[in-house]
Amino acid sequence: MSDTVQRTGGDAAGESNGVPVELSARPRSVDGKRVLGVVPGKPAAGERKVIDRDDTVMVWPHLLVRHGVAAMATLLVVMVISVLFDAPLQSIANPQVTPNPEKAPWYFVALQELLSLFHPTVAGILVPGAIVIGLVALPYIDRSRFVQLRHRKVAVVTFTTFMVIWIILTLIGFMFRGPNWGWVWPWEEWHGVL
Amino acid sequence: MSITEHDEERTEDRADDPAGDPIDRVYERVRETPVGRSIFRSPRRITPRDRAAGHWSNFLLHIYPVKIRRKELHFRYSWYLGVISMVLLGSLVASGVYLMFFYVPSPANAYTNIQTIQNEVPFGQYVRNVHRWSAHLMVLAVAAHMARVFYRGAYKAPREFNWVIGVMLLVLTLLMSFTGYLLPWDQLAFWAVTVGTEMASYVPIIGEPVKEMLLGGPTVDSSTLLRFYVLHVAVLPSVMVMVLMIHLWRWRKDAMFDQQAEDGDE
Repeated sequence: MSDTVQRTGGDAAGESNGVPVELSARPRSVDGKRVLGVVPGKPAAGERKVIDRDDTVMVWPHLLVRHGVAAMATLLVVMVISVLFDAPLQSIANPQVTPNPEKAPWYFVALQELLSLFHPTVAGILVPGAIVIGLVALPYIDRSRFVQLRHRKVAVVTFTTFMVIWIILTLIGFMFRGPNWGWVWPWEEWHGVL
Repeated sequence: MSITEHDEERTEDRADDPAGDPIDRVYERVRETPVGRSIFRSPRRITPRDRAAGHWSNFLLHIYPVKIRRKELHFRYSWYLGVISMVLLGSLVASGVYLMFFYVPSPANAYTNIQTIQNEVPFGQYVRNVHRWSAHLMVLAVAAHMARVFYRGAYKAPREFNWVIGVMLLVLTLLMSFTGYLLPWDQLAFWAVTVGTEMASYVPIIGEPVKEMLLGGPTVDSSTLLRFYVLHVAVLPSVMVMVLMIHLWRWRKDAMFDQQAEDGDE
Protein backbone atom coordinates (compact mmCIF):
# COMPACT_ATOMS: atom_id res chain seq x y z
CA MET A 1 0.00 0.00 0.00
CA SER A 2 2.58 2.51 1.05
CA ASP A 3 4.75 2.07 -2.03
CA THR A 4 1.75 2.67 -4.21
CA VAL A 5 0.86 5.86 -2.48
CA GLN A 6 4.39 7.03 -2.12
CA ARG A 7 5.16 6.17 -5.73
CA THR A 8 6.90 9.04 -7.44
CA GLY A 9 7.70 9.67 -11.05
CA GLY A 10 8.17 12.25 -13.75
CA ASP A 11 6.44 15.10 -12.06
CA ALA A 12 5.49 17.55 -14.75
CA ALA A 13 4.52 20.62 -12.78
CA GLY A 14 7.28 20.29 -10.22
CA GLU A 15 4.76 20.21 -7.44
CA SER A 16 5.34 18.68 -4.03
CA ASN A 17 7.29 15.74 -5.39
CA GLY A 18 6.88 12.62 -3.32
CA VAL A 19 4.81 14.32 -0.67
CA PRO A 20 1.32 12.87 -0.32
CA VAL A 21 -1.38 15.42 -0.99
CA GLU A 22 -4.72 15.20 0.73
CA LEU A 23 -7.43 13.83 -1.52
CA SER A 24 -10.50 15.44 -0.12
CA ALA A 25 -11.92 16.69 3.12
CA ARG A 26 -13.65 13.40 3.80
CA PRO A 27 -11.60 10.23 4.21
CA ARG A 28 -12.28 7.60 1.67
CA SER A 29 -11.70 3.91 1.69
CA VAL A 30 -11.04 1.34 -0.97
CA ASP A 31 -11.65 -2.27 -0.06
CA GLY A 32 -11.75 -1.37 3.59
CA LYS A 33 -8.40 0.43 3.49
CA ARG A 34 -8.22 4.12 4.08
CA VAL A 35 -6.72 6.26 1.35
CA LEU A 36 -4.55 8.91 2.86
CA GLY A 37 -3.58 10.78 -0.24
CA VAL A 38 -2.24 10.65 -3.73
CA VAL A 39 0.93 11.96 -5.24
CA PRO A 40 0.45 14.32 -8.17
CA GLY A 41 2.32 13.72 -11.38
CA LYS A 42 2.66 10.82 -13.73
CA PRO A 43 3.73 7.37 -12.58
CA ALA A 44 7.16 6.12 -13.55
CA ALA A 45 7.34 4.90 -17.14
CA GLY A 46 7.18 1.22 -16.31
CA GLU A 47 3.93 1.55 -14.43
CA ARG A 48 2.22 3.90 -16.82
CA LYS A 49 -1.10 2.69 -18.13
CA VAL A 50 -0.92 2.16 -21.87
CA ILE A 51 -4.31 2.28 -23.56
CA ASP A 52 -4.67 -0.84 -25.62
CA ARG A 53 -7.41 -1.69 -28.08
CA ASP A 54 -7.72 -5.15 -26.58
CA ASP A 55 -8.36 -3.75 -23.12
CA THR A 56 -11.80 -4.27 -21.75
CA VAL A 57 -14.06 -1.41 -20.80
CA MET A 58 -17.37 -1.37 -18.99
CA VAL A 59 -20.37 -1.76 -21.31
CA TRP A 60 -22.18 0.82 -19.21
CA PRO A 61 -21.57 3.62 -20.02
CA HIS A 62 -19.14 3.18 -22.90
CA LEU A 63 -21.09 0.91 -25.23
CA LEU A 64 -24.62 1.70 -24.09
CA VAL A 65 -24.21 5.42 -24.69
CA ARG A 66 -23.05 4.71 -28.22
CA HIS A 67 -25.92 2.31 -28.78
CA GLY A 68 -28.30 4.97 -27.51
CA VAL A 69 -26.95 7.46 -30.02
CA ALA A 70 -27.13 4.89 -32.83
CA ALA A 71 -30.74 4.10 -31.87
CA MET A 72 -31.76 7.74 -31.86
CA ALA A 73 -30.05 8.38 -35.19
CA THR A 74 -31.82 5.36 -36.73
CA LEU A 75 -35.20 6.46 -35.46
CA LEU A 76 -34.56 9.99 -36.68
CA VAL A 77 -33.84 8.68 -40.19
CA VAL A 78 -37.02 6.55 -40.13
CA MET A 79 -39.00 9.54 -38.90
CA VAL A 80 -37.70 11.90 -41.58
CA ILE A 81 -38.28 9.39 -44.40
CA SER A 82 -41.78 8.66 -43.09
CA VAL A 83 -42.68 12.33 -42.94
CA LEU A 84 -41.35 13.00 -46.43
CA PHE A 85 -42.50 9.91 -48.34
CA ASP A 86 -45.78 8.04 -48.18
CA ALA A 87 -45.88 4.27 -48.50
CA PRO A 88 -47.22 3.29 -51.93
CA LEU A 89 -50.80 2.13 -52.30
CA GLN A 90 -52.01 1.22 -55.76
CA SER A 91 -55.53 0.27 -56.82
CA ILE A 92 -57.21 -2.71 -55.15
CA ALA A 93 -55.90 -6.17 -56.07
CA ASN A 94 -57.45 -7.52 -59.23
CA PRO A 95 -56.51 -11.06 -60.33
CA GLN A 96 -57.87 -10.27 -63.81
CA VAL A 97 -55.48 -7.39 -64.51
CA THR A 98 -51.82 -8.40 -64.63
CA PRO A 99 -49.52 -5.38 -64.48
CA ASN A 100 -46.69 -5.21 -66.94
CA PRO A 101 -43.92 -5.49 -65.79
CA GLU A 102 -44.77 -7.84 -62.98
CA LYS A 103 -42.09 -7.38 -60.33
CA ALA A 104 -41.18 -9.22 -57.15
CA PRO A 105 -40.25 -7.14 -54.06
CA TRP A 106 -36.85 -5.51 -54.56
CA TYR A 107 -34.94 -8.02 -52.39
CA PHE A 108 -36.09 -10.90 -54.64
CA VAL A 109 -35.72 -9.02 -57.89
CA ALA A 110 -32.15 -10.29 -58.42
CA LEU A 111 -33.59 -13.80 -58.42
CA GLN A 112 -36.26 -12.73 -60.88
CA GLU A 113 -33.60 -11.23 -63.12
CA LEU A 114 -31.64 -14.50 -62.96
CA LEU A 115 -34.80 -16.40 -63.91
CA SER A 116 -35.11 -14.29 -67.02
CA LEU A 117 -31.54 -15.19 -67.98
CA PHE A 118 -31.16 -18.85 -67.09
CA HIS A 119 -33.13 -22.06 -66.90
CA PRO A 120 -35.39 -22.17 -63.82
CA THR A 121 -33.46 -25.12 -62.38
CA VAL A 122 -30.30 -23.02 -62.36
CA ALA A 123 -31.74 -19.65 -61.42
CA GLY A 124 -34.53 -20.83 -59.15
CA ILE A 125 -32.85 -23.68 -57.31
CA LEU A 126 -29.10 -24.01 -57.79
CA VAL A 127 -28.16 -20.36 -57.32
CA PRO A 128 -30.34 -19.52 -54.28
CA GLY A 129 -29.58 -22.92 -52.74
CA ALA A 130 -25.85 -22.41 -53.28
CA ILE A 131 -26.03 -18.91 -51.77
CA VAL A 132 -27.72 -20.05 -48.57
CA ILE A 133 -25.59 -23.19 -48.19
CA GLY A 134 -22.45 -21.22 -49.02
CA LEU A 135 -23.25 -18.59 -46.40
CA VAL A 136 -24.00 -21.18 -43.74
CA ALA A 137 -20.85 -23.15 -44.56
CA LEU A 138 -18.55 -20.13 -44.82
CA PRO A 139 -17.14 -20.18 -41.26
CA TYR A 140 -16.53 -23.92 -41.52
CA ILE A 141 -14.73 -23.65 -44.86
CA ASP A 142 -12.66 -20.60 -43.98
CA ARG A 143 -10.92 -21.89 -40.85
CA SER A 144 -7.86 -19.64 -40.99
CA ARG A 145 -7.10 -17.47 -37.99
CA PHE A 146 -6.46 -14.36 -40.07
CA VAL A 147 -8.78 -11.39 -39.89
CA GLN A 148 -6.97 -8.75 -41.91
CA LEU A 149 -8.27 -8.37 -45.43
CA ARG A 150 -4.85 -8.73 -47.05
CA HIS A 151 -4.41 -12.16 -45.48
CA ARG A 152 -7.80 -13.43 -46.65
CA LYS A 153 -7.68 -12.67 -50.34
CA VAL A 154 -9.56 -15.74 -51.56
CA ALA A 155 -12.44 -15.33 -49.11
CA VAL A 156 -12.67 -11.57 -49.62
CA VAL A 157 -12.54 -11.71 -53.41
CA THR A 158 -15.13 -14.51 -53.58
CA PHE A 159 -17.54 -12.81 -51.20
CA THR A 160 -17.11 -9.41 -52.83
CA THR A 161 -17.63 -10.83 -56.32
CA PHE A 162 -20.90 -12.50 -55.37
CA MET A 163 -22.06 -9.46 -53.45
CA VAL A 164 -21.35 -7.09 -56.35
CA ILE A 165 -23.06 -9.42 -58.84
CA TRP A 166 -26.07 -9.61 -56.54
CA ILE A 167 -26.25 -5.83 -56.16
CA ILE A 168 -25.96 -5.33 -59.92
CA LEU A 169 -28.71 -7.91 -60.60
CA THR A 170 -30.93 -6.22 -58.02
CA LEU A 171 -30.37 -2.80 -59.58
CA ILE A 172 -31.03 -4.15 -63.08
CA GLY A 173 -34.21 -5.92 -62.02
CA PHE A 174 -35.39 -2.96 -59.98
CA MET A 175 -34.64 -0.04 -62.28
CA PHE A 176 -33.70 -1.28 -65.74
CA ARG A 177 -36.58 -3.64 -66.47
CA GLY A 178 -39.85 -2.51 -68.00
CA PRO A 179 -42.77 -4.09 -69.85
CA ASN A 180 -42.23 -7.77 -70.73
CA TRP A 181 -39.02 -7.61 -68.69
CA GLY A 182 -37.46 -5.60 -71.51
CA TRP A 183 -34.55 -3.25 -70.95
CA VAL A 184 -35.45 0.36 -70.08
CA TRP A 185 -33.37 3.32 -68.98
CA PRO A 186 -34.52 4.47 -65.55
CA TRP A 187 -34.27 8.14 -66.52
CA GLU A 188 -36.67 7.56 -69.42
CA GLU A 189 -39.16 5.13 -67.88
CA TRP A 190 -39.38 4.29 -64.20
CA HIS A 191 -40.76 0.92 -63.17
CA GLY A 192 -39.25 0.42 -59.74
CA VAL A 193 -41.58 0.13 -56.76
CA LEU A 194 -40.76 -0.28 -53.10
CA MET B 1 -3.57 -4.63 -4.92
CA SER B 2 -6.86 -2.92 -5.34
CA ILE B 3 -5.83 0.70 -5.10
CA THR B 4 -3.45 0.27 -8.01
CA GLU B 5 -6.16 -1.30 -10.12
CA HIS B 6 -8.51 1.45 -9.16
CA ASP B 7 -5.95 4.06 -10.02
CA GLU B 8 -5.47 2.51 -13.44
CA GLU B 9 -9.17 2.29 -14.12
CA ARG B 10 -9.37 6.00 -13.60
CA THR B 11 -7.57 6.58 -16.87
CA GLU B 12 -10.71 5.42 -18.62
CA ASP B 13 -13.39 6.43 -16.13
CA ARG B 14 -12.50 9.75 -14.65
CA ALA B 15 -15.90 10.10 -13.04
CA ASP B 16 -14.93 7.32 -10.65
CA ASP B 17 -13.43 9.76 -8.24
CA PRO B 18 -16.23 11.59 -6.48
CA ALA B 19 -13.80 14.04 -4.98
CA GLY B 20 -12.51 15.14 -8.35
CA ASP B 21 -15.33 17.18 -9.70
CA PRO B 22 -17.46 19.76 -7.86
CA ILE B 23 -20.67 18.60 -9.54
CA ASP B 24 -19.83 15.08 -8.51
CA ARG B 25 -19.28 16.24 -4.96
CA VAL B 26 -22.70 17.91 -4.89
CA TYR B 27 -24.28 14.77 -6.33
CA GLU B 28 -22.59 12.68 -3.68
CA ARG B 29 -23.88 15.01 -0.94
CA VAL B 30 -27.42 14.86 -2.32
CA ARG B 31 -27.32 11.08 -2.33
CA GLU B 32 -26.36 11.07 1.32
CA THR B 33 -29.37 13.10 2.45
CA PRO B 34 -32.41 11.19 3.74
CA VAL B 35 -34.29 12.02 0.54
CA GLY B 36 -31.36 10.94 -1.62
CA ARG B 37 -31.05 7.68 0.26
CA SER B 38 -34.76 7.07 -0.21
CA ILE B 39 -34.43 7.51 -3.98
CA PHE B 40 -31.30 5.47 -4.59
CA ARG B 41 -31.61 2.04 -3.06
CA SER B 42 -27.98 1.06 -3.13
CA PRO B 43 -24.85 3.03 -2.36
CA ARG B 44 -23.14 4.68 -5.25
CA ARG B 45 -21.11 2.20 -7.23
CA ILE B 46 -17.60 3.52 -7.44
CA THR B 47 -15.11 0.74 -7.91
CA PRO B 48 -15.11 -1.29 -11.15
CA ARG B 49 -16.09 -4.31 -9.10
CA ASP B 50 -19.13 -2.54 -7.66
CA ARG B 51 -20.15 -1.36 -11.08
CA ALA B 52 -19.75 -4.80 -12.65
CA ALA B 53 -21.91 -6.21 -9.86
CA GLY B 54 -24.52 -3.54 -10.56
CA HIS B 55 -24.55 -4.34 -14.24
CA TRP B 56 -24.66 -8.05 -13.56
CA SER B 57 -27.69 -7.80 -11.31
CA ASN B 58 -29.68 -5.55 -13.63
CA PHE B 59 -32.41 -7.32 -15.55
CA LEU B 60 -32.52 -4.85 -18.44
CA LEU B 61 -28.78 -5.08 -18.96
CA HIS B 62 -28.64 -8.85 -18.91
CA ILE B 63 -28.52 -9.03 -22.69
CA TYR B 64 -25.24 -7.13 -22.62
CA PRO B 65 -21.88 -8.41 -21.48
CA VAL B 66 -20.44 -6.53 -18.51
CA LYS B 67 -17.28 -5.61 -20.32
CA ILE B 68 -16.25 -5.40 -23.92
CA ARG B 69 -13.01 -4.89 -25.76
CA ARG B 70 -12.22 -1.25 -26.34
CA LYS B 71 -11.82 -1.70 -30.10
CA GLU B 72 -15.41 -2.94 -30.37
CA LEU B 73 -16.70 0.43 -29.23
CA HIS B 74 -15.65 2.20 -32.36
CA PHE B 75 -18.06 2.95 -35.17
CA ARG B 76 -15.68 1.50 -37.73
CA TYR B 77 -15.64 -1.86 -35.94
CA SER B 78 -19.27 -2.77 -36.58
CA TRP B 79 -20.86 0.36 -38.05
CA TYR B 80 -23.41 -0.39 -35.30
CA LEU B 81 -25.42 -2.34 -37.86
CA GLY B 82 -26.52 -4.99 -35.39
CA VAL B 83 -28.01 -2.50 -33.00
CA ILE B 84 -29.51 -0.56 -35.92
CA SER B 85 -31.26 -3.75 -37.09
CA MET B 86 -32.55 -4.29 -33.55
CA VAL B 87 -33.88 -0.74 -33.35
CA LEU B 88 -35.62 -1.13 -36.70
CA LEU B 89 -37.18 -4.37 -35.46
CA GLY B 90 -38.44 -2.48 -32.43
CA SER B 91 -39.85 0.24 -34.66
CA LEU B 92 -41.56 -2.43 -36.77
CA VAL B 93 -43.12 -4.14 -33.76
CA ALA B 94 -44.40 -0.85 -32.35
CA SER B 95 -45.85 0.43 -35.63
CA GLY B 96 -47.08 -3.04 -36.60
CA VAL B 97 -49.07 -3.51 -33.41
CA TYR B 98 -50.73 -0.14 -33.98
CA LEU B 99 -51.67 -1.09 -37.54
CA MET B 100 -53.10 -4.42 -36.35
CA PHE B 101 -55.83 -2.59 -34.47
CA PHE B 102 -57.28 -1.31 -37.73
CA TYR B 103 -56.72 -4.19 -40.09
CA VAL B 104 -58.76 -7.28 -40.99
CA PRO B 105 -57.00 -9.81 -43.25
CA SER B 106 -59.73 -10.52 -45.77
CA PRO B 107 -59.98 -9.41 -49.39
CA ALA B 108 -63.25 -7.63 -48.59
CA ASN B 109 -61.71 -5.50 -45.82
CA ALA B 110 -57.95 -5.30 -46.21
CA TYR B 111 -57.73 -2.62 -48.88
CA THR B 112 -60.40 -0.36 -47.40
CA ASN B 113 -58.77 -0.82 -43.98
CA ILE B 114 -55.53 0.54 -45.41
CA GLN B 115 -57.43 3.49 -46.88
CA THR B 116 -59.08 4.10 -43.51
CA ILE B 117 -55.69 3.89 -41.78
CA GLN B 118 -54.31 6.47 -44.20
CA ASN B 119 -57.24 8.85 -44.14
CA GLU B 120 -59.02 8.54 -40.80
CA VAL B 121 -56.91 6.81 -38.16
CA PRO B 122 -54.86 9.30 -36.11
CA PHE B 123 -51.26 9.24 -37.38
CA GLY B 124 -52.32 6.27 -39.51
CA GLN B 125 -50.50 7.35 -42.64
CA TYR B 126 -47.39 8.20 -40.64
CA VAL B 127 -47.40 4.88 -38.77
CA ARG B 128 -47.90 2.97 -41.98
CA ASN B 129 -44.99 4.87 -43.52
CA VAL B 130 -42.82 4.06 -40.50
CA HIS B 131 -43.71 0.39 -40.82
CA ARG B 132 -42.98 0.21 -44.51
CA TRP B 133 -39.74 2.18 -44.54
CA SER B 134 -38.46 0.47 -41.40
CA ALA B 135 -39.05 -2.87 -43.10
CA HIS B 136 -37.05 -1.92 -46.18
CA LEU B 137 -34.32 -0.39 -44.04
CA MET B 138 -34.18 -3.50 -41.89
CA VAL B 139 -33.55 -5.73 -44.90
CA LEU B 140 -30.72 -3.38 -45.88
CA ALA B 141 -29.35 -3.16 -42.33
CA VAL B 142 -29.35 -6.91 -41.78
CA ALA B 143 -27.66 -7.55 -45.12
CA ALA B 144 -25.10 -4.83 -44.41
CA HIS B 145 -24.54 -6.27 -40.93
CA MET B 146 -23.68 -9.57 -42.53
CA ALA B 147 -21.26 -7.95 -44.97
CA ARG B 148 -19.58 -5.99 -42.17
CA VAL B 149 -19.18 -9.11 -40.04
CA PHE B 150 -17.69 -10.88 -43.03
CA TYR B 151 -15.13 -8.19 -43.79
CA ARG B 152 -14.12 -7.98 -40.14
CA GLY B 153 -13.58 -11.71 -40.03
CA ALA B 154 -15.85 -11.78 -37.02
CA TYR B 155 -17.46 -15.05 -38.09
CA LYS B 156 -14.32 -16.98 -37.20
CA ALA B 157 -13.91 -19.21 -34.16
CA PRO B 158 -15.45 -19.17 -31.64
CA ARG B 159 -18.28 -17.38 -33.44
CA GLU B 160 -18.97 -19.71 -36.37
CA PHE B 161 -22.34 -20.83 -35.14
CA ASN B 162 -23.49 -17.31 -34.41
CA TRP B 163 -22.86 -16.51 -38.08
CA VAL B 164 -25.12 -19.45 -39.00
CA ILE B 165 -27.81 -18.07 -36.69
CA GLY B 166 -27.30 -14.72 -38.39
CA VAL B 167 -27.95 -16.29 -41.81
CA MET B 168 -31.20 -17.70 -40.38
CA LEU B 169 -32.13 -14.24 -39.17
CA LEU B 170 -31.49 -12.79 -42.63
CA VAL B 171 -33.80 -15.40 -44.18
CA LEU B 172 -36.42 -14.72 -41.50
CA THR B 173 -36.16 -10.98 -42.17
CA LEU B 174 -36.80 -11.58 -45.88
CA LEU B 175 -39.77 -13.82 -45.10
CA MET B 176 -41.19 -11.26 -42.67
CA SER B 177 -40.89 -8.56 -45.27
CA PHE B 178 -42.33 -10.73 -48.01
CA THR B 179 -45.37 -11.87 -46.01
CA GLY B 180 -46.06 -8.27 -45.02
CA TYR B 181 -45.85 -7.20 -48.64
CA LEU B 182 -49.18 -8.87 -49.45
CA LEU B 183 -51.22 -7.34 -46.65
CA PRO B 184 -52.22 -4.00 -48.27
CA TRP B 185 -54.00 -6.12 -50.91
CA ASP B 186 -53.34 -3.69 -53.73
CA GLN B 187 -52.10 -4.51 -57.22
CA LEU B 188 -48.49 -4.07 -56.16
CA ALA B 189 -48.88 -6.52 -53.27
CA PHE B 190 -50.93 -9.06 -55.17
CA TRP B 191 -48.65 -9.38 -58.17
CA ALA B 192 -45.36 -9.13 -56.29
CA VAL B 193 -46.45 -12.07 -54.15
CA THR B 194 -47.71 -13.92 -57.21
CA VAL B 195 -44.27 -13.55 -58.83
CA GLY B 196 -42.45 -14.33 -55.58
CA THR B 197 -44.33 -17.54 -54.86
CA GLU B 198 -44.12 -18.52 -58.52
CA MET B 199 -40.35 -18.72 -58.01
CA ALA B 200 -40.83 -21.25 -55.19
CA SER B 201 -42.63 -23.60 -57.57
CA TYR B 202 -39.43 -24.08 -59.60
CA VAL B 203 -37.98 -26.23 -56.87
CA PRO B 204 -38.37 -29.85 -58.04
CA ILE B 205 -40.80 -32.21 -56.28
CA ILE B 206 -41.47 -30.08 -53.17
CA GLY B 207 -41.76 -26.76 -55.04
CA GLU B 208 -45.38 -27.00 -56.09
CA PRO B 209 -46.66 -28.43 -52.75
CA VAL B 210 -44.75 -25.76 -50.83
CA LYS B 211 -46.23 -23.05 -53.01
CA GLU B 212 -49.76 -24.41 -52.55
CA MET B 213 -49.23 -24.68 -48.83
CA LEU B 214 -48.11 -21.06 -48.68
CA LEU B 215 -50.94 -19.82 -50.86
CA GLY B 216 -53.63 -22.16 -49.55
CA GLY B 217 -54.53 -22.93 -53.16
CA PRO B 218 -53.15 -22.64 -56.67
CA THR B 219 -53.33 -18.83 -56.75
CA VAL B 220 -53.20 -15.87 -54.39
CA ASP B 221 -56.64 -15.48 -52.77
CA SER B 222 -58.36 -14.99 -49.42
CA SER B 223 -56.68 -17.99 -47.78
CA THR B 224 -53.29 -16.68 -48.91
CA LEU B 225 -54.02 -13.35 -47.28
CA LEU B 226 -55.00 -15.04 -44.02
CA ARG B 227 -51.97 -17.34 -44.06
CA PHE B 228 -49.54 -14.53 -44.81
CA TYR B 229 -51.14 -12.44 -42.08
CA VAL B 230 -50.79 -15.17 -39.46
CA LEU B 231 -47.21 -15.84 -40.55
CA HIS B 232 -46.46 -12.12 -40.52
CA VAL B 233 -47.91 -11.18 -37.13
CA ALA B 234 -47.56 -14.39 -35.12
CA VAL B 235 -45.44 -17.22 -36.45
CA LEU B 236 -42.44 -15.46 -37.96
CA PRO B 237 -42.09 -12.79 -35.24
CA SER B 238 -42.08 -15.47 -32.53
CA VAL B 239 -39.53 -17.55 -34.37
CA MET B 240 -37.46 -14.47 -35.08
CA VAL B 241 -37.44 -13.33 -31.46
CA MET B 242 -36.38 -16.79 -30.31
CA VAL B 243 -33.57 -17.04 -32.85
CA LEU B 244 -32.56 -13.47 -32.09
CA MET B 245 -32.30 -14.31 -28.38
CA ILE B 246 -29.84 -17.09 -29.21
CA HIS B 247 -27.92 -14.68 -31.46
CA LEU B 248 -27.61 -12.09 -28.70
CA TRP B 249 -26.85 -14.70 -26.06
CA ARG B 250 -24.01 -16.05 -28.14
CA TRP B 251 -22.77 -12.55 -28.78
CA ARG B 252 -22.70 -11.82 -25.06
CA LYS B 253 -21.09 -15.12 -24.17
CA ASP B 254 -18.41 -14.79 -26.83
CA ALA B 255 -17.76 -11.09 -26.27
CA MET B 256 -14.90 -11.72 -23.90
CA PHE B 257 -13.26 -14.42 -25.97
CA ASP B 258 -10.38 -13.26 -28.03
CA GLN B 259 -10.53 -14.53 -31.58
CA GLN B 260 -6.82 -15.28 -31.33
CA ALA B 261 -6.21 -13.87 -34.75
CA GLU B 262 -2.75 -14.60 -36.02
CA ASP B 263 -2.42 -11.16 -37.54
CA GLY B 264 -3.86 -8.86 -34.86
CA ASP B 265 -6.60 -6.90 -36.52
CA GLU B 266 -7.30 -4.09 -38.89
